[in-house]
Amino acid sequence: MRLTVDGLPETLAPRPGQCLRTALRETGHHGVKKGCDAGDCGACTVLLDGVPVHSCLLPAFRAENRSVTTVRGLERDGTLHPVQQAFLDHNAFQCGFCTPGMLVTAASLDQEQRQELGRALKGNICRCTGYGPIADAVASLDLPDAASPRDERSLPPPAGPDVVRGRAGYTLDAAAPAGLLHMVLLRSPHPHARIRHIDAEAARAAPGVHLVLTHRDAPDLLYSSAQHERYVDSPDDTRLLDDVVRHVGQRVAAVVADSVAQAEEARALIRVEYELLPPVLSPEAALLPGAPAIHRKDAAASRIADPERNVVGTVRDEIGDVAAGFAEADIVHGAEYRTQRMSHAYLETLSAIAEVDGDGLLTVRSSTQVPFLTREALARVLELPRNKVRVLCGRVGGGFGGKQEMLCEDVAALAALRLRRPVQIEFTRTEQFEAAPCRHPMRIGIRLGARRDGILTAMELRVLSDTGAYGNHGPAVLYHATNESIGLYRCPNKKVDAQVVYTTTPPSGAFRGFGLGQVIFGLEQSVDAVARELGMDPVRFRELNVVKPGDPMTSTRFALHDVEYGSYGLDQCLEHVRTALDAAREEPLPPEIATDPDWRVGTGSATAMIDSAPPFGHKASVRLMLREDGRFELVVGTAEFGNGSTTTHLQIAARTLGTAPCRIAVRQSDTALLDHDTGAFGSTGTAIAGLATQDAARRLLALLREQAAAMHGGAPDTWRLDGDTLSDGVRHLPLSALAPLEADGHASGTPRTVCFNVHGFRLAVHPPTGTIRILRSVHAADAGHVLNPMQCRGQVEGGVAQGLGAALFERIRLDGNGGVENPAFRSYHVPRLADLPRTEVFFADTHDSTGPLGAKSMSESPFNPVPAALANALFDATGVRFTETPFTRDIVWRQLREACPTPASGARTLQTDGAPAGP
Amino acid sequence: MNPVSYVRAADAGAAVAMGAAAGTRYLGGGTNLVDLMRENVEAPSSLVDVCGLSAAIEDTPEGGLLIGGAARNSALAGHPAVRARFPLLSRAILAGASGQIRNMATVGGNILQRTRCTYFYDDAARCNKRAPGAGCDAIDGFNRIHAILGASSACVATHPSDMCVALAALDAEVMLSGPEGERRLPFEAVHRLPDGQPDRDTTLLPGELITAVRLPPLAAARRSAYRKVRDRASYAFALVSLAAAVELDAAGRLAEVRLALGGVAHKPWRARAAEAVLRGQVPDEIRLKEAAAAELAQASPLRDNGFKLVMVERLIVAVLSDLVAGNAGAAA
Repeated sequence: MRLTVDGLPETLAPRPGQCLRTALRETGHHGVKKGCDAGDCGACTVLLDGVPVHSCLLPAFRAENRSVTTVRGLERDGTLHPVQQAFLDHNAFQCGFCTPGMLVTAASLDQEQRQELGRALKGNICRCTGYGPIADAVASLDLPDAASPRDERSLPPPAGPDVVRGRAGYTLDAAAPAGLLHMVLLRSPHPHARIRHIDAEAARAAPGVHLVLTHRDAPDLLYSSAQHERYVDSPDDTRLLDDVVRHVGQRVAAVVADSVAQAEEARALIRVEYELLPPVLSPEAALLPGAPAIHRKDAAASRIADPERNVVGTVRDEIGDVAAGFAEADIVHGAEYRTQRMSHAYLETLSAIAEVDGDGLLTVRSSTQVPFLTREALARVLELPRNKVRVLCGRVGGGFGGKQEMLCEDVAALAALRLRRPVQIEFTRTEQFEAAPCRHPMRIGIRLGARRDGILTAMELRVLSDTGAYGNHGPAVLYHATNESIGLYRCPNKKVDAQVVYTTTPPSGAFRGFGLGQVIFGLEQSVDAVARELGMDPVRFRELNVVKPGDPMTSTRFALHDVEYGSYGLDQCLEHVRTALDAAREEPLPPEIATDPDWRVGTGSATAMIDSAPPFGHKASVRLMLREDGRFELVVGTAEFGNGSTTTHLQIAARTLGTAPCRIAVRQSDTALLDHDTGAFGSTGTAIAGLATQDAARRLLALLREQAAAMHGGAPDTWRLDGDTLSDGVRHLPLSALAPLEADGHASGTPRTVCFNVHGFRLAVHPPTGTIRILRSVHAADAGHVLNPMQCRGQVEGGVAQGLGAALFERIRLDGNGGVENPAFRSYHVPRLADLPRTEVFFADTHDSTGPLGAKSMSESPFNPVPAALANALFDATGVRFTETPFTRDIVWRQLREACPTPASGARTLQTDGAPAGP
Repeated sequence: MNPVSYVRAADAGAAVAMGAAAGTRYLGGGTNLVDLMRENVEAPSSLVDVCGLSAAIEDTPEGGLLIGGAARNSALAGHPAVRARFPLLSRAILAGASGQIRNMATVGGNILQRTRCTYFYDDAARCNKRAPGAGCDAIDGFNRIHAILGASSACVATHPSDMCVALAALDAEVMLSGPEGERRLPFEAVHRLPDGQPDRDTTLLPGELITAVRLPPLAAARRSAYRKVRDRASYAFALVSLAAAVELDAAGRLAEVRLALGGVAHKPWRARAAEAVLRGQVPDEIRLKEAAAAELAQASPLRDNGFKLVMVERLIVAVLSDLVAGNAGAAA
């Protein structure tokens, strides 16, 4: 069939049932993205005869003889569409995977629709930005004289032009290798079962099928999908394909065929005979005496704390004398909290292409945060020499911790090795919810003792964490959750009793905040409660009790002692939020709230501390080269998934060398280019990989000077780099004359420093309807010297947005069988533009002694204080504690009705003259 | 998704000639059907594309509107006659879905869209609507989005449409063409309650196609509103919604009142009991609460959705109070 795509004639031959998105992508129109498959996310939006539609829901035949415009068709004669330019100007993207659909939708809006942007963009999800810069970018179209938002420190991300043109190459946007095959996975319908028999003969005989893999084909070797610098941090409890399934959605078999459709048809022909085993659907049930052991494995070999009792790991310790601390206390407060199962909801689903060349080199192009660790894992699991495995990334469409695992590369690689043909795997959105790791749900018990004078005397923390079917990241998350959370407070007596247990539910994994967000949700509410009980302002109470430079940061004896106060901005952060909330309390309320006595108004805040990198080392490698043409090339080991680390690497290299960022090209995330790099997690992009970049730049500059001195005399340090020449003030050497030169830079991830975040809310809540209106949202962050304020603000705003999603909307619900009930964006509510307030961001003025150019990390942590701050504001408004996330509207309504049947404002229990609905 | 044959119908006659065959479905915008096919909830063997049929929106001689079955939701919501004379219909459509969806979805397809009950979508769950006789996992499951009126022991699903709630209030008429010829159905008779046969959403006969929707003139519709309560501001199906239209006499009594509820039943729920309480009365708060109570007399909430009863009462009181006070621009 014929149609016009981006102004040019195109011929497509769609298969029956194929949607336009797939047909376009198969023809190389990779500006069209796949984020879901259900018209929920908007990443696939195209214009059909000028009107925006979801191309994933449009049968391809529908487009015959019509005009389709993708993001690539928005440019005119090489000039960006104004909305593309505005997105560039405002940094209105991070990973950029949603950007093509967002731009196409935004480009179709008229001025009136732009005024109601929340409504106009409700069909588009962005998981990274929190939408603030997107709203600013669109608003700027109607404000042509507005000043540029960019300050001189805020270098734009180098990938920006490609991102807004729809030319950035994500994992599956590379040209398909010849003979590419497609893999789909058969998944378990049972929460716990032993596979008795798999009959795959019919599937193997089905049209187009090349291979069906079952547990008989899998290496008889246990590993963890989780990736850390220290391999032993997660238990070895996973087989590539296992003969026991431990959650609904676990891999049972893999089918490889010429097309996805053929693989899916063949998958339906596989017959599996299961012997059902008793499910264990909650961590409490897992700990009951007599509960079935989910992993009956050797404890020492697998590094599982107590396999018979389903305990993966524990943190149990006491420092000081907690009993004495409570005895000394004038008040003792105790409470219990719960956090929900949550999806990362990054828009680029897990995907990989594995191929093997004639020399037996396995190359995997993957959407991963950890290419080098994935190489190690592939070599281990597939028993290959490490120099026979190469892992590389395209642009990575979001991660948030969810891609710190090997979740699809192993099975695709096994098939590619067997078939000697390239094999591609791509998770559906449903698979993301059912089988990709989620955030660890936790039950958190807190007991605090304090004296009348406002000094904490004892802290006791109990945690029960649900790792699901596999222990990937379980112990490490538990360790982190119980460390910096209580480490923030200067209290001599602390006790932790925490364990992480198996259940037969989908596995949990690393998630932005790595456990801290969960514990801080409870702890910061209890701190707030103690302050109130003492009659103190909660911010003042924190000021009295938080650690200050010189104080030991203590949690348990498991904490490493390589954390120092490289800088300290918590005092500034607390002061800023206090001032902002004091001012907010004086602001007039919106008239509809002021005139309705049922609304309750309150303020609240919460604090978070985080170490600047993971413990036990985090290695970063960088190579900086001067090329023959006199330009530089920066090769960075770590990955970037939208957090902007590449931009800061450019800034650090340019500033250290003394040249302009535009003279430096960046390549990254490819194991063929460097020896080893731990990867992008633990907020290390700027703080650790940036140090390695600085190291490489210093070394290269030294080499340049030595070379110049050797060639032309003088002391090396008289030579300075100035743009494209090296000069001693008299002589000017073109850089090309000194090329080629290269220098490697390294960072080890130790010593570490600490970062701080404080969030404050003023909100109004309407008990008769359960409606929450956020009136003011302020966030103060101590990121050291902020290298790129726009980008760092983007990290904060995005983290706050995810924190609000956790607090208000998001929950993966499991059914009675342990399967996911809501595996789609229409039932799992990621915030959209209209759902979020704008957040005012403040940066403490500090300069860190350990980080590159005084910077420290700011990536995970903005999430951490947000749900607790919201709960504290809700308490201030209503006197009711919300101890379990999320606070959806019906829960707010129900809890307020039960707790305060008679509003203080009057006798009415039902408000009768306002709008019950949202906007 | 399974391969299907695909034919584009040139006109309604041709569509109906093909549509009666077993395994055939009409394809409107596809925003619901394509999704259901991907989820293996629906598995038609052939699709007859009816998007090319009449999408016209025309005045009728008696002062109403005739809306082609293939009219896009966005075209209907933005049509000047709809905005001026039937604002509740425009607001209801805009309250639903995203712009991209509304640009694709047709009026006929919107009427025939299927429930968003999560158990209906989950082919591992028991669902009498998807597999008659299988049982219902929603009744004892997580049922905060489910029905409080007219449900049966076989099914507690709700109809998801916003547009249909407005059409129910407007006494619309649906024009059908089928193998047995053409007929008209009052809008209220199109959707059915689940009883023992929840797999049947509507009373349409096999192969019948919605060719048009006819709106009779309604003076009260100029003073009308649609308000939707949902989990968040941006995008979610209604927990409860209300379409309302009123006409007041000189004494401030309700000469005409039309009320329909969404999110409460297997079909768009015309609130005739409430209307009967209110017609001819001055709609003060006491009377409005009486009306809500009359409508909810037969309600039977499930474990998780008792809040919907309170919401219905609050919506009726709030929306009608606003309409009577002249604040017709009630938010969607």
